[in-house]
Amino acid sequence: MSVTGDWNEAANELNAIVASFDEGEVSVDDLFTKLERATAIIEALEARLETTKARVEELAPRIARVAEDE
Amino acid sequence: MAPDDVSATEPILEVGEFYDLLTAQLESAYGRRHPRWVRGEVSKVYEKSHLYVDLVDAGSSASDAKRPVLNAHCWASQWNPLKRRLAADGITLAPGTVVNFFGYVDLYAPQGRIGFTVTEIDVAGLLGDVARRRQELIARLAHEGLLEANKRVAVSAVPLRVGLVASPQTEGYSDFTGQLLGSGFGFEIVLVATAVQGEAAPAQIVRAIQDLDRHGVDIICVVRGGGSKGDLAAFDDEGVARAIAASSTAVFTGIGHTGDESVADLVAHTRAITPTKLGEEIVSLVTAWYEVNVRLVAKRLLASSEALLDEASEYVAERRRTMIFAVRDRLRAEQRQLGAVRQRLWLQARHTLDSATRTLAGTRQLLGAYDPSRRLAQGWSIVTGPDGRVVSLLAQVHAGERVNVRVSDGSFDSTIDERNGA
Repeated sequence: MSVTGDWNEAANELNAIVASFDEGEVSVDDLFTKLERATAIIEALEARLETTKARVEELAPRIARVAEDE
Repeated sequence: MAPDDVSATEPILEVGEFYDLLTAQLESAYGRRHPRWVRGEVSKVYEKSHLYVDLVDAGSSASDAKRPVLNAHCWASQWNPLKRRLAADGITLAPGTVVNFFGYVDLYAPQGRIGFTVTEIDVAGLLGDVARRRQELIARLAHEGLLEANKRVAVSAVPLRVGLVASPQTEGYSDFTGQLLGSGFGFEIVLVATAVQGEAAPAQIVRAIQDLDRHGVDIICVVRGGGSKGDLAAFDDEGVARAIAASSTAVFTGIGHTGDESVADLVAHTRAITPTKLGEEIVSLVTAWYEVNVRLVAKRLLASSEALLDEASEYVAERRRTMIFAVRDRLRAEQRQLGAVRQRLWLQARHTLDSATRTLAGTRQLLGAYDPSRRLAQGWSIVTGPDGRVVSLLAQVHAGERVNVRVSDGSFDSTIDERNGA
């Protein structure tokens, strides 16, 4: 179950799923499918986050050198 | 005059004798022992160890062939110290300069010329004249709006391409470039070397400013270390002032002085009191820009990145928690719903069973009333024919046939003798 699109697109889909649960719109038949989809989106977002964090960690010292340069 | 008018008491003199007499007369009245001040305007000046100056009446016209000329000269022994004093105060004896000479008359017989030997020059008077001309120049520049012209030129926020008008052999040059090159920023210095003192300096400085203006540098810096008024005279030059005012590039000056600012300073976009100070100011401009546009941006970028990542992490974690709770709630709701249905179904089933049981009991009771054993006990019997069927009509049997008769406690066979209708 692939998660395509950018962060906002994925987050919007996730928010919609959560909202459907909040509003009691999810049938038992759909529950597993929606939960599975929400899990896939969450894992995809976490993976992107980890990747981004790792890249930021690489860049941070270089930016810090500029920021702290006297 | 006719020869017979020659007086016997006045001997005829040879030329030399005449000059001797004339020299004696002049010396007795205007000679070395009777020096005096003479004012005049320099019309010609020539220096070769000694100084030679032609003085005329101030304001007289050069086209006036009859205007008086005084051939003044100052011998090297006196001219050299005078020259140093004048140079120290930035005074140059140029055509047009009005000067007071102190000296005496002499007569140079080989050329038949009366000359004037200068022993002293009124420096104070000349200074006053220089100051007056300087003030007049400043007033003219102000009147033409040129004092502010270059100040209105926009300066690049990061003036890294620096056009430099200086003499590379001077301390001023070293002091200025030292500040820029030692700053750690990538300054690019475009040097146009010029003399920064002497008669050639103003024209070279003007050309340098114009060249750099065309070159497309961020700013033009005119620098010169400290010196006497005379050393700095080039920076009071009208041509230099006008070149600065006309420049479309901001001109910064770093001209070392302890007295009045030069005219170049007044016309410049920005002035500093020394080349070092000018270098510091330019470095501080770039530093300020770097601080705001690079360092602070970098700091904000770091903080924003961290905040954004924290926010995104919190978002995902919150969505995960919400999802788990939402699913759990949904399942619990379904379980509750199923429980309620099951309860209702169970109650409904019990009710149905009870009802059926009651109906069955009633039926059973009703059926009891029709139990054949009860009839048999009352004396009724049940006859079945040879085919086993219950005989309820005469037509079902015939005489001679055997039938079975069932009574309450058993049965017996019987033979039909005769049929009797009712």
